[in-house]
Amino acid sequence: MEPILKLEDLRVEFRSGALRHNPKVALRGLNLEVYRGEIFGFIGPNGAGKTTTINVLLGFVAPTAGNAYLFGVNVREPIARQRIGYLPELTYYYKFLTVEELLRFYARIFGIPRRETDRRIDQLLRLVELEQVRNRPIKTYSKGMQQRVGLAQALINDPELLILDEPTSGLDPIGRMKVREIIQRLKNEGKTVFFSSHELGEVETVCDRVGILHEGELRTVGRVSDLKAQFQTDLERIFLKIIGYQLNT
Amino acid sequence: MNKILAIAGVVIKELYRRKDFYVLFVLTALITLVMGSATFFNDPKIVRYLVEVCLLLIWVSAIAIAIGTAARQIPAECESRTIFPLLAKPVTRAHVILGKFLGCWFACGIALVAFYAFAAIVRGSREAYWPMLHYFQASWLHWMGLAVMIAMVILGSLIFSAPSANATICEIIIVGILLLGGHLDTVALRQPPPLDLITYTIYFFIPHLEWFDVRDILVHDQPLIKWWAVLGATAYAAAYTATFLFLAWLIFRRKPLNA
Amino acid sequence: MRSPRVHYLILLLLVVINFTLATVLDIAAQAWTRRGGTDLLAILLGDARRIFSAHFFIKADVYFHAGYYPSIFDLTARPKDSSHMAGDNHAHDEEKCGKAMQFLGRPTDWIERFGRNFAVTEHKHLNSGKEREILPWLRISASLDPHRIETYTVAAFWLRRTLGKPEQAEAFLREGLRANPDSYELLHELGCVYYENYKDAARARNIWRLALEKLELQRGKKDEDELAKYYHDILLRLARLEEDQGNYALAADYLEEIIERNAAPNPDLLRTQITELREKASTRH
Repeated sequence: MEPILKLEDLRVEFRSGALRHNPKVALRGLNLEVYRGEIFGFIGPNGAGKTTTINVLLGFVAPTAGNAYLFGVNVREPIARQRIGYLPELTYYYKFLTVEELLRFYARIFGIPRRETDRRIDQLLRLVELEQVRNRPIKTYSKGMQQRVGLAQALINDPELLILDEPTSGLDPIGRMKVREIIQRLKNEGKTVFFSSHELGEVETVCDRVGILHEGELRTVGRVSDLKAQFQTDLERIFLKIIGYQLNT
Repeated sequence: MNKILAIAGVVIKELYRRKDFYVLFVLTALITLVMGSATFFNDPKIVRYLVEVCLLLIWVSAIAIAIGTAARQIPAECESRTIFPLLAKPVTRAHVILGKFLGCWFACGIALVAFYAFAAIVRGSREAYWPMLHYFQASWLHWMGLAVMIAMVILGSLIFSAPSANATICEIIIVGILLLGGHLDTVALRQPPPLDLITYTIYFFIPHLEWFDVRDILVHDQPLIKWWAVLGATAYAAAYTATFLFLAWLIFRRKPLNA
Repeated sequence: MRSPRVHYLILLLLVVINFTLATVLDIAAQAWTRRGGTDLLAILLGDARRIFSAHFFIKADVYFHAGYYPSIFDLTARPKDSSHMAGDNHAHDEEKCGKAMQFLGRPTDWIERFGRNFAVTEHKHLNSGKEREILPWLRISASLDPHRIETYTVAAFWLRRTLGKPEQAEAFLREGLRANPDSYELLHELGCVYYENYKDAARARNIWRLALEKLELQRGKKDEDELAKYYHDILLRLARLEEDQGNYALAADYLEEIIERNAAPNPDLLRTQITELREKASTRH
């Protein structure tokens, strides 16, 4: 089966200072494949390189070496992003727009016909439960509502692959539950989801496969059930063991 | 093109939902009307001073709107992180630059229509004189001049870290060119070497924005500018705008964005 | 959480403080206003108002030339005085002024050549009543510096001569006289209003004679050439007035005084006129 998302020996270095010496290596030869219909959890401690990987996939950062592909197209080509949806960690959308106007704007970028845009906006606003406030400026929304706006915009093009960067970060328990429900529903619809998270419980509940990243290296990849069977413990302990954290108990 | 227009549409919405334009328009209208209410020597036919004041306010307001809007576009996208979901769509950085430019330029064009219509009504109501072709030439050249200014400010927004610093520097450059740009050759003649060469070089490199300021023609009721000259100035503005936007793209293309 | 009543009390206290301060400061502000005069512009701008006044006077000149005017980089081409803006027909020489204001020259490069398409490049003076357009700038200039005499004379000239508003000219000149009571220039212009517009020879005669007295006071204080010019103009006007009134001998006396004061650019012409006037006077007797 052809992977939807593929990383090949991906290396990213950040150089700073006038002489650009001593580069900081963010990713060290990352290899990863994500297949159609699966929910892939990308976990790791802060600074592990999760967001950098996503930045490369979205074309925000150019890789120093190696390649990244979406649907077999190199991410350097903008067309690679035609069939993906992306939810950033924390974003304040154009405050002066309403959610409906925002979705219409993104739909126009994808070249979605007007009638189809109307249908999708209605459907998405129902999905993220923002129908009642569709004509209110985004600046009046709560943080949880803004995150759901983010989800709606990520889904406007009916993407085959969703890249979610810490989608529940900073949300209250109800907000998290709602986002989790939406991800679950997307899975049921056969979408592929690639998401990074700190919330191991959430990853364990939702994901088919996980990849644990530490210091720019992918330490392990596998099905959650296989990992649990292999290590004879829960995901949290597996994660801590892999990143080399010593538990006292 | 659809993507560029979509981005431009958001910029236009931003302008008409912000208070800047309305405040400047009301201020212009208010000052003009207060000046117009003054009668000098009991002569109601005096009108040129009013047209001059009105056009000066229009120029100041248009520059303020253009610089203010253009300077914050890309920095605000980065600061509020809206650039990430935008670039995660099939949108290139060239689309973003062109969309932002067109948005600011169209928005300024809409503002200019309102401003010049007001000026025409003020003059027409006083002396029943409607030189529509003059207004067209003046507003068209004004709009072309604004294109160069907006492109310059967008380039500045990618060079200078703070939008306020960019706006201030661009304002100084633009006002400097408008006041002195056309006289730099005269200044160069009076300089010792190598200052004369430097001044001449600046004279040939800067965009001569003073060409686009034809208020005197309108105020003093001079004959229409030759249409080929208007066309030439339009091409000149297009060339400088393209240069600034290309430079902006070269910088933005390599700018790392970390979400 | 404090009760809202506390907030209202704080608000009330602030209002009372504001009111108290306003009553105290008002007295100080009035004293300050009295010191600086009643003119708001004078208070705001101080001595800088003279610079602005000069600027607005030049602005009037720019308007008079319909926008064709040298920049600060062509100062030599600027008119040296205001006589081109408001003078009798002999002084108001468009061709001469146009020659003096040839500041453009041949363009040195394509930028300058092309740029001229967007600037006013033709010398002309306002006419057919359009001269009214210079008046607002003169009014503002006078408000900023009431001691700039030419502002009043130029405005009055056009008001009485072309725009048919002698009463406005008179009022403006009187305003100027209040600020400059010893100005022979203003009296000369005021005399013109009375004689040419009101046809009031008696008053015009008195005003011009007063102007001569004021002119006499300036001897040794001002440039002799300028004084000579005004002696010539005022005496000539008095001579014409007396001639019109049939007082030929008196008219001849005024013309003789011009020659005596070495104020005549063409004394021979005056001598011929004097002879004619004397003949007329003797014939009448």
